[in-house]
Amino acid sequence: MPGSRAYLWFIGPALILMFLILLLPIGIAGALSVTDYSLGNTSANFVGAENYERIFTRTTYEKMFGATFRYVFVVVPLTVFLGLGAALLIHSLTRFGDLYKTIYFLPVMAALIAMAIVWEFAFHPTIGIINATLERGCGTWLEAWNWYAAGCERTFPLWLTDRDYAIWTVAFIGVWQGFGFNMVLYLAGLTSIPRSLYDAAGMDGAQSGWDRFRLVTWPMLGPTTVFVVTISFIRSFQVFDTVEAFYPQGGGPSKSVYVMMFAIYEKAIQQNLMGIGAAITVVFLGFVMFLTILQRWLVERRTHYV
Amino acid sequence: MSKIVLSGIGKSFGETPVLRGIDLTVEAGQFVTLVGPSGCGKSTLLRILAGLEAADTGTVTIGEQDVTRMRPSDRNLAMVFQSYALYPHLTVAENMMTPLKLRDLGPAGRLPIVGPMLARSEYLRLRQQVQTTAEALRIEALLHRKPGQLSGGQRQRAALGRAMVRNPVAFLMDEPLSNLDAALRVHMRAELSELHRRLETTFVYVTHDQAEALTMSDQMAVMMNGEILQYGRPAHVYGAPASLEVAKFIGSPSINVLPGEIDSAGGLSVMGKLLLPDTRLARQPVSVGVRPEHLTLDPNGSFRGVIRHRENLGSDLFLHVQLDGVEKAVILRSHPRILAGTGLEEEVTFSAIADEVHVFGADGLRLHMARPSLVEVA
Repeated sequence: MPGSRAYLWFIGPALILMFLILLLPIGIAGALSVTDYSLGNTSANFVGAENYERIFTRTTYEKMFGATFRYVFVVVPLTVFLGLGAALLIHSLTRFGDLYKTIYFLPVMAALIAMAIVWEFAFHPTIGIINATLERGCGTWLEAWNWYAAGCERTFPLWLTDRDYAIWTVAFIGVWQGFGFNMVLYLAGLTSIPRSLYDAAGMDGAQSGWDRFRLVTWPMLGPTTVFVVTISFIRSFQVFDTVEAFYPQGGGPSKSVYVMMFAIYEKAIQQNLMGIGAAITVVFLGFVMFLTILQRWLVERRTHYV
Repeated sequence: MSKIVLSGIGKSFGETPVLRGIDLTVEAGQFVTLVGPSGCGKSTLLRILAGLEAADTGTVTIGEQDVTRMRPSDRNLAMVFQSYALYPHLTVAENMMTPLKLRDLGPAGRLPIVGPMLARSEYLRLRQQVQTTAEALRIEALLHRKPGQLSGGQRQRAALGRAMVRNPVAFLMDEPLSNLDAALRVHMRAELSELHRRLETTFVYVTHDQAEALTMSDQMAVMMNGEILQYGRPAHVYGAPASLEVAKFIGSPSINVLPGEIDSAGGLSVMGKLLLPDTRLARQPVSVGVRPEHLTLDPNGSFRGVIRHRENLGSDLFLHVQLDGVEKAVILRSHPRILAGTGLEEEVTFSAIADEVHVFGADGLRLHMARPSLVEVA
């Protein structure tokens, strides 16, 4: 029927919802990021790019980017690699596969705030299990390692409160918590590889497990890997709860664990500086958008098989 | 070229026996088909021959060599899979290169990027080999496409190319035509036969389609329930089935089975009508198999029935005729022109060509009759 407006009823609800819950908030955040608005004020002043200028010049924000990227570039490769490794091992098992799957997936399901308390005890410098265990190694061949000898002589690191170790410790917990999720995604990817491809590889002369992995498993996991890497990046950029649980004030020793999500929370919620908070949010959105677009591009281009 | 011998092959999956002591000899250069209904173990037998599956008992010999414990890659066999199993991330040329690379290049030469630089002359030779094979199969134009961009028939050719490229001892094919449409399947049948004549290599071909077995093979093995029921030339299997099961499986439309008996004088009668006076067999009840083409419409024929259904294929016309006392309608082949005026539910009479009937005993095995012509000679 020419002139009919029925199509509006089909796309209308989706469009309205997308506008209300996605585009409008983004727009508001974008608008706030160029003002000095605080919650409760009736008006705000336009400050131009001042908030952004601060983000890219002040040392606090330099630390913020430093902490975020350190965290992301440790956690992403390790969770992806360990997730793949665990998936390959479990996939090759004939028994107890489900048991291991459950064990590795437990940290993903656990509430991280609660787990953070457990880790806090474990990392405690005097009563913590980790340093206590390390101390038992003193006087053995382990002392040949300088770092270990130094630890025995004085004390082992204060994992969570030493600014040289804090971010790596938090990243370690991120890896522990995150790789089970990637493992499950990889397991799904592994089960969807047709068996006949391995048969063909065998006939073609792929003798070692490595040959089969290179020829079949890894390429066939390409689409899964792109997805896993993107999801891991986004999840790592979003890290917040561990930092909030360990360092409710100020983002760790010398702000060494001052990750972006925490910065947004501190500025916008705790200090009620909506303008700067919104500006960090927009920058954050920029990173995530970039990664998502990169993923789309990779999926459509490199891993388009069938 | 070497002879392939499978002897005493047995295989069970858990408690279920899949193969029960199979003996099969494939002469060098022959096109041998394993045919049978699904679940008869034919694919398992092929996989055991390929080395993808280990047999519980028995040995596999290729040429003079016992390869039972050898890896698939060391047996120098090539396999074409039902799903083609092309590597989807590689182009057709790269797919065809893979077996050559894995066999002919060292670990260094197989490295990505630097590999082709290190082993330049080898790569040139391998590319040449791929090119030659592609020309033989007329797929040069497809070499730079990925499997996802090919049609079913083109993928089939690419899979053949990957198998052919390294000149294997034998080709193993696991239902390679079953994913193609009907017209293409008939075309590929001829093409595979032609390929076999040209390459003069051994082909072992698995199919559930008896037409493929009959049209392409030098020898065919009919398998059921993990056993080979009959092994021989297609014409022989069709013309002298060793058992009722084989007779029913081979031939389309399938053979008609009518109840009959041998009387004390050795005469064969079907449904009370004497067909052959002297078969020199002992008195017993039998099953009589008659192929549709050996039943002819005949006004003076001894069988009478009602037409239930007609299938006009243009060149042939199959009549389904219901006889009294037989549950399944008898199928009879005729020609559309002869039957132009006959309609459904009409009564027809027909007779059977007595020389062409097959007689099976109570155990389902073929009974060898003294045929009238042979009786005279004897």
